[in-house]
Formats: sequence, C-alpha cells, structure tokens
Amino acid sequence: MGGTELLQFVLAGLKNGSIYALVALGFTLIYAATGVINFAQGEFYMLGGMLSVWAYADLGLPLPLAGLVGVAATAAVGGVFELGAIRQRKDGDPLALIVITVGGSMVLSSMARHLFGPNERPLPLFSGGGSVSVFGAVLEVQTIWILGLTALAVVGLWYLYNRTGLGRAMRACAVNRDAARIVGIDTRLMVTVSFLLAAALGALAGLAVTPLTQTAFDVGPTVGIKGFAAAILGGLGNPIAAVVGGLVLGMLESVSIAFISSTYKDAIALIVLLAVLFMRPQGILGRSSREKV
Amino acid sequence: MTTTRWHFASVVTLVAAMAVVSLSACGAEDGPGDDGAAPAEPYRIGAVLSLSGTYAGLGEPEKNTIEMEVERINEAGGVNGRPIEVIIVDDATDAETAVAVTTRLIEQDEVIALIGATGTGATMAMRQEVDRAGIPQVSIAGGTVITADFHPLVFQTAWSNSLVVPFTLRYLEGKGVSKVAIIADSGGFGADGAAVIKDVIGTTSLELVAEEAFNPGDADMTGQLTKIKSSGAEAVLMWNAGREAATVAKNMAALDIGIPLIGSHGNARVEFIDGAGDAAEDFVFAAGKVLVPEAYAPGSDEQVVATDFIERYTERYGVAPDTFAGHAYDGLYLVVEAMKRLPEEFTAEELRDEIESTNGFVGIGGVFTFSPTDHNGLSDDDLVMYRVSGGVWTLEK
Repeated sequence: MGGTELLQFVLAGLKNGSIYALVALGFTLIYAATGVINFAQGEFYMLGGMLSVWAYADLGLPLPLAGLVGVAATAAVGGVFELGAIRQRKDGDPLALIVITVGGSMVLSSMARHLFGPNERPLPLFSGGGSVSVFGAVLEVQTIWILGLTALAVVGLWYLYNRTGLGRAMRACAVNRDAARIVGIDTRLMVTVSFLLAAALGALAGLAVTPLTQTAFDVGPTVGIKGFAAAILGGLGNPIAAVVGGLVLGMLESVSIAFISSTYKDAIALIVLLAVLFMRPQGILGRSSREKV
Repeated sequence: MTTTRWHFASVVTLVAAMAVVSLSACGAEDGPGDDGAAPAEPYRIGAVLSLSGTYAGLGEPEKNTIEMEVERINEAGGVNGRPIEVIIVDDATDAETAVAVTTRLIEQDEVIALIGATGTGATMAMRQEVDRAGIPQVSIAGGTVITADFHPLVFQTAWSNSLVVPFTLRYLEGKGVSKVAIIADSGGFGADGAAVIKDVIGTTSLELVAEEAFNPGDADMTGQLTKIKSSGAEAVLMWNAGREAATVAKNMAALDIGIPLIGSHGNARVEFIDGAGDAAEDFVFAAGKVLVPEAYAPGSDEQVVATDFIERYTERYGVAPDTFAGHAYDGLYLVVEAMKRLPEEFTAEELRDEIESTNGFVGIGGVFTFSPTDHNGLSDDDLVMYRVSGGVWTLEK
C-alpha cells in the first residue's frame, strides 16, 4: 500500500472522527451537568440537518442563514426538551431521566417524519464541490469545513469553560452540584444551558455532514451510537476526551477498512472499544471516580 | 403540587405520543367503499407496508397506489359484484412488527390474501404466519431469497436480484469491461445482490477484483473506494437501496477514480439524483420500464397500462409514480385478477392456484407469467438500462 493511499485512509478517519467528536461533545456536556446519558443526542444531529434543509429549501433562505436557523432552532428544541421533560422529573433520578431521553428521541424522529416526510433531502455543499490535493491524497472542501467547524467548536467550548463566568459555573455544577448551589449558582439553569449547547453541537455536526450524505428523519440513532461510543472511549464528562475518543474511533474504522475488511469495520471498532474499557474503564483520558472526589 | 405537575407533564407526553401513533395509523385503517353503503360483504385483503422506519420512503408510494386503485376497482363494480377492502398496516420496517400485524390481519380481519411486505426481511418473517393460515402472499420486495427459497404460497412482483444481476453483468460484458469491483450495503438488499453477483460472475467473462461493504447510515466511503481504486477495477458495481448511494457517487467523484459507477434498481429514485447532484451524471443502472415510458413498445398493452397509471397517479398525488408504486400496483392486481377468474365463493387454496396460473398479466413492472416453479414471473424483456443524463433518466443503449 502506497503512502498516498495511507494518507487517504487517515483523511477518511479524521473526517468520520470529527463527526463522531461533535456528537460525543454533546453527550459529554449533558453528562457533566446531569450525570445522565442523553439518548436523544442523535436526534439533535438529525434536526440540525433537517431544519437547515427546511430553512434553505422550503423557506428559501440563503445557505449560511439557513444553517444558522437550523442550529439555533435545534438548540431551542434542546432547551424546550429540558424544560418540558427533564426538569419535570424533580428528583433527578438518572434512570428515569435516561428513559425520558429515549422517549424524547422517538417523539422527535416521529415528528420529523410527519413534518418533513419519509424521504432523504439534500443540502448544497457550503462552497462548491471542489477538492484539494494533500501530497497526492484528495481532501474534499466540505471535509475541510467539517474539520474546521469541529476545531472551532472545541476552541469555543474551551473558551467558554475557562474564560467566562457561565463556563466556570457549569464546571462547578459538574464537580459538585450541591456546593455550586450553596455558592449561589442556579444549577437548574446550568442544566438547561448544557442541553442548549449539546443540541447546538449535534446540530452543527448534522449541518456540516448533510451536504455529503443528505439527511432523513431516521439518521439520528446510528450517529448517536457512534457518538456515544466515542464519548465512552475518550472518557465521559471531559470535552477534550470526547474529541480524542471521536478521532480514535474514526481512525479505527478507517484502519479496519484499509487492512482488514470493510464488512466488519464497526465490529472491529467496537471490539477495540471493549478492550480499551476492560483496561481503562474510565476511558482513555477519563479520571477514575475516586480521583475526582 | 410537585406530584400533580409531574403527573400533568406525563399525561401531556402520553397524549402527544398517542397523537403521533394515531397519525401514522389513521388513513391506513379506514378502508374504501364505506360511503357507498355496499350491500355485499367486501373481500378483505391485507397489505403490510413500511410506513415508518428506514423504508418509509418506499411504503408511502405503495400505500398511495393501493388506495387509489382500490377506489377505482370499487367504482367499477368491485370483484364478482362485491367490493374489495384492503386493510393497510404499518410494519415500521421491522420484522417482528411485521409478524405481529400479519397475525392480526389473519386472526381479526380474516383476510383472504396478503400483499407485502415492503422489505425483504419483513417478507421472510411473515412466512411462518402465511404458512399457518394457508393464504397466498404477494411480496413487493426485491430480495432474491423470497422466491429462491421457494414456498408455494409466496409470490413476488419486484424484479429479483437473480434477474437483474445477470442482466447488468451482460451489459458490462457488452461494454468491454473485464475487471469489476463491488461496493454493497451490508443490509438485506445489498448483501443479497453481492451474494448473487459472486454466484454468477463465474459464468461471465468478468473478474471480481475487489469487494467492499458499508453500513446503513455511514457518512463516508472514501476508504472503501480508495481500496477499489488501487484494485485495478474498470467499473464499480454498487448494490444498495438507501440514501448512501448518493454518498458513494459523490465520494467517487471527489476521489476522481475515473471509472464508471453502475448501480441497481434499488437506486431508481429521484432522491438519488437530487442527493448526488453532478456526481449522478452518467450513473447507469437496470430497472423496469416505468421510469421512462418510451421504453415500452409504442402501442403495446404495457404502454397503455403504464401510461394510464402514471397519468392518474400524477394527477392525484402531484408526483410521478416510482418503481415501488409499480410493485404495489402489480401485487394488488395479481390478486384481484385471480379473484375475478374465480366464482364468488372460493377457498384460499383455489385463490393460490389461480394466482399461480397467471399467464401474461400486463402490469407496471412487466408482463407476469407464473408457473409452479417460478413465482416472480418476469423476464429480461421487462428490464432496460438507464443512464442519468442532465439530471434525468434516459434510456441507455
């Protein structure tokens, strides 16, 4: 296998990996705020693409504005979902909340099915269909968009967490909810904000990928599972770990295609995931719960 | 107070969920012919379609077709002086649901025949119930296994892969291609097609140099296509029925592989052209003649039947019917025409025998002639090659 081909596999891995990373970030944000896995995360990915298509094709908005509408509207759906369903469960019992997110994902995809129809719908490429050559390997311009938006999201999150009062309040909630409440942080608001942000991140991924794959009401669960696996692989609750987990998972699949078999790429990726978790149950970068306390 | 509000929220959620469920169920339940106060008891037929889940895009035109044609049949006096009623149920693209709804159709609605399912997996899952009830089933799915794994009660209207694969391979031979690569969906239809290709490629002059797969929902196939590029293949044969086809076409264009992409009847959807855009240009695939009615011999019975159906469907639903609408049309009429040839009262076994004796029925998918060993009943004459040119289907020489 030549170097150019190898590089092509690396690029494919990075592309899939950064999609998984964006979805994994959403899982991680909500887990940090509530201790709950949000099984509706894949539906935010679906809504990001679907609402952007709706704004572009049905409302006739220009593409950048349509994308903005798609992401903002999905963030709003995330916020409403938290206020209307998650917050209503006053005792915050994690098991009950997880079941609520499962139900929420079914309601969201059924509604999308009825509002937007059963068929897949396309979105144009952000800046034409060109590609650039990287040492002989091909990099599609849309892939540069995906990588760039992922990087932007990571930098944005880092800034939010480390340089703003809101971000510090969210981190405080993640470390110790009761202590955060005692020092005057509105912990309920922080949960709502984390759902807003997680929905926006999922929507961003859906928006960036739709020009390559089209979108439909049922794209959520598959991506949700990959993002969840990435979040677990990296270590739940840590944004950098989510990105590392996403990229590692994408690269694993790519390596499986290159050297073993494309038929079993998902199985191979999951076997490696299990192997990692046997050795490090907290994930690649996760801290064990004892350390955290 | 807390409990009350929580209670209220759960009631609202429940009501919303039920509204969603009933939305998908209504319209399916109310059979036609209720308004006419028909004196005679209707013949009841069950139809198991995928109105939600992965194949919802296929189930919708199928449901549209059945509703339109049942109305037409009843307005023309029904069958043997009695109206027909087709009870359409949703299998949610899920084999277990298909079994459950089939049981209900058989036990509660006492249907005399079954149309469906939309998908191959659901069709096969229904077999145990069909076998138990002893009523005929006319599947509208495309998997080879449906009629290859022969059952006397089961018929099939879609072109099976065992018909389309050899037809497509002969086309490639005619174009002077010698090395081909497969890229197929790991799911039912793609895996079925890939298996048939591997089975029959030995009987052709073609050589298989690469075999790659992808999963439903995959966002990128550049890895698989990079391997195909280095395999020396002269054409890529793609077998799948989902939206990933557009991604494969786009990835191939981006990688600039420079060899033709050949698909299957699973890609005979406008959504593929919309999704792949420029990358769909020069995409070649085999399918029945319904996509470009000029493919039918001018003035032939087939052309008359197809043109009439296309006009009525387009007028009623605002879009042209696709191949899946055609499969549903054929499924319904194969049953109804057999019933018309029987006296008013007949047994399930007599109905099965009569469907099997279908000879030269002119449908949308082709001209059907069943025999005790052939329950697909179509031939190469019913297929043509298409090429996407200027964003529309054109006939390929």
